[in-house]
Amino acid sequence: MAVLLRGLRAGRALRGLSKVTVPVATSPHCTGVRRGFHRAVLLQVQKESDPDDSSSTTTSSSSSSSSYHQHYQAHPSESEPASSASEQETPTPNTSYTDQAGEESEDYETEEQLQARILTAALEFVPQHGWSVEAISAAAETLGLSSASAGMFTNGAGDLVLHFIAHCNAQLTETLAEQHNQVQLGQAEKKTTAEFLRDAVEIRLRMLIPYIDTWPQAMSILLLPHNIPDSLKHLSTMVDDIWYYAGDRSTDLNWYTRRAALTGIYNTTELVMLQDSSPDFQDTWAFLDNRINDIVNMANTAKQAQATGEAVVQGLMGAAVTLKNLTGMNQRR
Amino acid sequence: MMQTAVISRTLLTVWTPVFSSLAARTCSNCRAVPYGARQYSVIPPSTSSEEKAMLDRMLRVDHAGEYGANRIYAGQMAVLGRSQSAPLIQSMWDQEKYHLQKFNEILAENRVRPTLLLPLWNVAGFVLGASSALLGKEGAMACTVAVEESISEHYNSQIRALMEANPDRYKELLQMIKEFRDDEMEHHDTGLEHDAEKLPGYWLMKTVIQAGCKAAIYVSERI
Repeated sequence: MAVLLRGLRAGRALRGLSKVTVPVATSPHCTGVRRGFHRAVLLQVQKESDPDDSSSTTTSSSSSSSSYHQHYQAHPSESEPASSASEQETPTPNTSYTDQAGEESEDYETEEQLQARILTAALEFVPQHGWSVEAISAAAETLGLSSASAGMFTNGAGDLVLHFIAHCNAQLTETLAEQHNQVQLGQAEKKTTAEFLRDAVEIRLRMLIPYIDTWPQAMSILLLPHNIPDSLKHLSTMVDDIWYYAGDRSTDLNWYTRRAALTGIYNTTELVMLQDSSPDFQDTWAFLDNRINDIVNMANTAKQAQATGEAVVQGLMGAAVTLKNLTGMNQRR
Repeated sequence: MMQTAVISRTLLTVWTPVFSSLAARTCSNCRAVPYGARQYSVIPPSTSSEEKAMLDRMLRVDHAGEYGANRIYAGQMAVLGRSQSAPLIQSMWDQEKYHLQKFNEILAENRVRPTLLLPLWNVAGFVLGASSALLGKEGAMACTVAVEESISEHYNSQIRALMEANPDRYKELLQMIKEFRDDEMEHHDTGLEHDAEKLPGYWLMKTVIQAGCKAAIYVSERI
């Protein structure tokens, strides 16, 4: 809290300064250290300038406090030296420093959150630079970090692709949970298993559409040996989620056969999508339909085969008993 | 009445997506449990992936064990189903069926992967039960004694592990495992009462079966 007040004062001082000096080249997304420096510098300057700028500060204080209020609604812990600068710039993307519990923590962001932020920003540069470290560097620059921050990602492009996949899977899970709620509340009809699987795979594959041109590169990155464990893990959790929300509660070998089948369907449909040029990928969805129907038919055939097998066994046992009766083997003598 | 219905409906329609999405986001290690899962569950919701992995392993091997025991009794009944010891074996089998059903429910609710070797335990259990029953009633009882002793020991070590970790957190789970362990001990004692030790080669059979059970437990935890 004290930090925020100091920041306010610093902001005011900065406004006073900006008439005299200088390019406030600080982008709104400074990391804590740089902001600390700025604050220290500005506080010193403020002490000198306060007696001079009494008139200007009163007018600027009201405007800075209103801009503070505006920014408070968007990102509270960030208002300080950046408020005046960002007013001239375009509205900034959300950069509030919330931790895992959703509480605001001043100036503190875990490394994981920072990495996630950079990777999410890097997705915008993928069409231009591909799935590569260049995209990450470009994103780091837009966030106000040095482009060498991309060195933080030891796996480079692999980190970017895995982050994207994790993000897509999380979105898919949210959507499926939401649909599940709707069904529970009676606001939506329960879909058949085939329909549900089809819709879930379509939703997930549609998330690839913005990146479809560079997706082959991403797939080849995922097939690199050091990325395979992670990509398999993401794939298996996604397939498990889809089946869980489709209502699968099996605890026998069906658990494995169902997931294996859906994994096969997903992978082949993804490959078909890569070389599909029909409007809105209609051919891909038709392919998906056919594969799902194949699986359903196979399951039905398996059930029929099992029922037939049981009937045949019973018939054979009946024939054996009849034979024993006929030959008199069943009688005790 | 109408107002409470309206309020509860608003609560459901407005807040459950928020809660479920919060749950999906804040618990990054755990997977989102959908709204509509029972509030009461024997297993507490996991707070970390290590805990989830540990509980998964325990539940997987317990499920495999009950499945195998089920098949052993099925094999014994297939051979001794028309003999004098049939009611006894049938009653023990019914208790095992109940255990298996409970574990099936828990596995489904907590999204635990069942072991891939279930078809193997299916066949192996049936063959073990049938072949021990072919040695007569004493053989079947000796097999029961050996298997139930292994299972009780296994449950005891799980109970110890859970008690060491956090007895309060796993209270319901501990209660359930203790109950099942007591059932298995009862089967063990029943087997001894019904002339298990009179089997020639009892010690050899017991050792071999228990070694097999230990191997099965080790493998089912992992695969």
